[in-house]
Amino acid sequence: MKTRDVFSYSFSAIKLRKLRAGLTTLGVVIGIAAIVALLSITQGLQNTITLQLEKGLAADTLVVSPGRGVFGGGAGVGGGFGGGDSDFRLMINDTATINGLSSDIEASVAVIQRAVYIKSTERLVTLNVVGVDFAQYVDIYSGTFVAGSGTINLNPENDTVVIGKRLNDPWKNNTLLFNVNDNVEIIWTNATTRPPKNETYTGHVTAILKEIGGFGFGGPSDTGVYIPILQAQSFFGTEESDMIIVKLKNSDNATITTVSKAITDYFSNEVSVVSSSYVLSLLSSVFSIIQLFLVGIAAISLLVAGIGIMNIMIVSLIERTREIGILKALGMKSRTVLLIFLSESVIIGLIGAVIGVVLGWGLANMVAIVFSGGGPFQGIGENQTATRIENAGMTITPVLSPIVFMGSLVFGIGVSVIFALYPAWRASKLKPVEALRYE
Amino acid sequence: MPMARVVDAVDLKKTYMLGKVPVEALRGVNLKVENGDFVAILGPSGSGKSTLLNLIGGLDKPTAGTLLIDGVDVSTLNDNQLADLRRRIGFVFQFFNLILRFTARDNVELSMSIAGMSREERRKHAGDLLETVGLKDRMNHKPAELSGGEQQRVAIARALANNPRFLLMDEPTGNIDSKTASEMMKLIKNLNEKGVTIIMVTHDQRLAREAKRTVQMFDGVITSDLVN
Repeated sequence: MKTRDVFSYSFSAIKLRKLRAGLTTLGVVIGIAAIVALLSITQGLQNTITLQLEKGLAADTLVVSPGRGVFGGGAGVGGGFGGGDSDFRLMINDTATINGLSSDIEASVAVIQRAVYIKSTERLVTLNVVGVDFAQYVDIYSGTFVAGSGTINLNPENDTVVIGKRLNDPWKNNTLLFNVNDNVEIIWTNATTRPPKNETYTGHVTAILKEIGGFGFGGPSDTGVYIPILQAQSFFGTEESDMIIVKLKNSDNATITTVSKAITDYFSNEVSVVSSSYVLSLLSSVFSIIQLFLVGIAAISLLVAGIGIMNIMIVSLIERTREIGILKALGMKSRTVLLIFLSESVIIGLIGAVIGVVLGWGLANMVAIVFSGGGPFQGIGENQTATRIENAGMTITPVLSPIVFMGSLVFGIGVSVIFALYPAWRASKLKPVEALRYE
Repeated sequence: MPMARVVDAVDLKKTYMLGKVPVEALRGVNLKVENGDFVAILGPSGSGKSTLLNLIGGLDKPTAGTLLIDGVDVSTLNDNQLADLRRRIGFVFQFFNLILRFTARDNVELSMSIAGMSREERRKHAGDLLETVGLKDRMNHKPAELSGGEQQRVAIARALANNPRFLLMDEPTGNIDSKTASEMMKLIKNLNEKGVTIIMVTHDQRLAREAKRTVQMFDGVITSDLVN
């Protein structure tokens, strides 16, 4: 029997039981749609995050922080969460030492970061305040630490405050939260005293940064608040640096590796050095795990669909016992009977997979629209005491790679065929005499 | 090349298990059918005529004895070869056994499609065959829209589709009224006169008289073999 005739025979059998075939197909549709939607959304999310990171995290900078942090250090030194209980401290004046470690280092800047309240006339906002040397900072981030309005004085007064664009106009509708020349009260809860005590000083906003976009990992960000390092040192009462940002002369992997190693070696592995390429590779491996996990869950629904197919095929085989007898009496080989049943599952799998891919893609785009483009999950969450600034305005564009597309089709058809193997085999093994006698 | 004898059965035996009880359905049958013959096999139910029909039709294999169909010893064939052999046999069943979702023409085409004939070729041939059995104007009807006699004609057209060595008919008039049955007989005789070898199982004496030869079966053996 010709392949085309096998398929057209199978198709006529499917057409006869439209509802049943439709429901069977629906199982495949749901499974494939789930896989496609989850994969293309996570892929889109990964792309978005990568892009944002690349914006905020210059390729030619390294971030040195104390402890064998969660990033585990460039050399992959085990390391627990938060860096263990070592009493190592990274000091602000360590920048000078770091600068001397390698000729590939152009500059470095120490950063102090604290969570504070910032109070304007009517609002109280929780934020991270960043203490840096403005002159050094602008050296490293000449493209992003740039005033959009006001001016950044490289020899700032103690009360100078520079803020990110989103703190100026968080709703993007000219309802301004903080503006140039505003006086803001900076409140820090000093937990080292007993009882903890609120320390306060009044700052003066001199500049608002240009819009940056991205997360600003280590570097300037749209939700950042910047004060002079000396002010931070005296206000927070510390000589310690939370991280030191190192700018390299080259951004090739060899330089990154050599310098990272020089720094970790110098500090006897008490610091972790994170480069953008390292963060990105870490991110991509995290996403692979997430994707695998999600696909695994979606695959379960496809498995259920497969069992449905098997069930339907067995019912169909019993119903069509006599028909199989006729076909065999007319000279059809067992192999062809097998092919007819398998091609029924191929048709169901193919239709289900195609609809599933389309549906999954549509679903992914719908979810993306809800999450980006000013949906309900974006922007500012307000409560009575404090306004929190979150979500740096992400736009997710779902990605359907050719591999995912082809893979879903193959997977959909594959599952259908695998679960049809047993019923098809049973159909092919029917004895013609007995099958013809079957009522 | 001389044509082989259509059927040559020597001391044919068939035993099958009915539950745990062995049933000797055929107990040594000798039957020769020549080219162009028209044989009616008569016998009460349980005489073994259906079992013989299944063996001659290549649907089953004998337990003992030799059975040559078109010169081929069926006991040496595997399932695939047996399927190939069945393509050279035109089956007509008592219950028509048409595919209900197919039109008359599609049913006739089915056996040609199984034999691997191209779509255009079998479309034309199916039309010709349905014309032969007098159903040209009904060929786009499904079995449910056809009378019993018409369905049986479709079955005959389907059986003839691959130019079989012989037609094997199981109670061809068993499910149709007597008027239609005599028309059916005319058609069958007509086919035989055109050279189609026919082996027909029936319990209808009247029908059997129309054949060239009548074989009587009883209790698994042939009790008489007469030329009419």
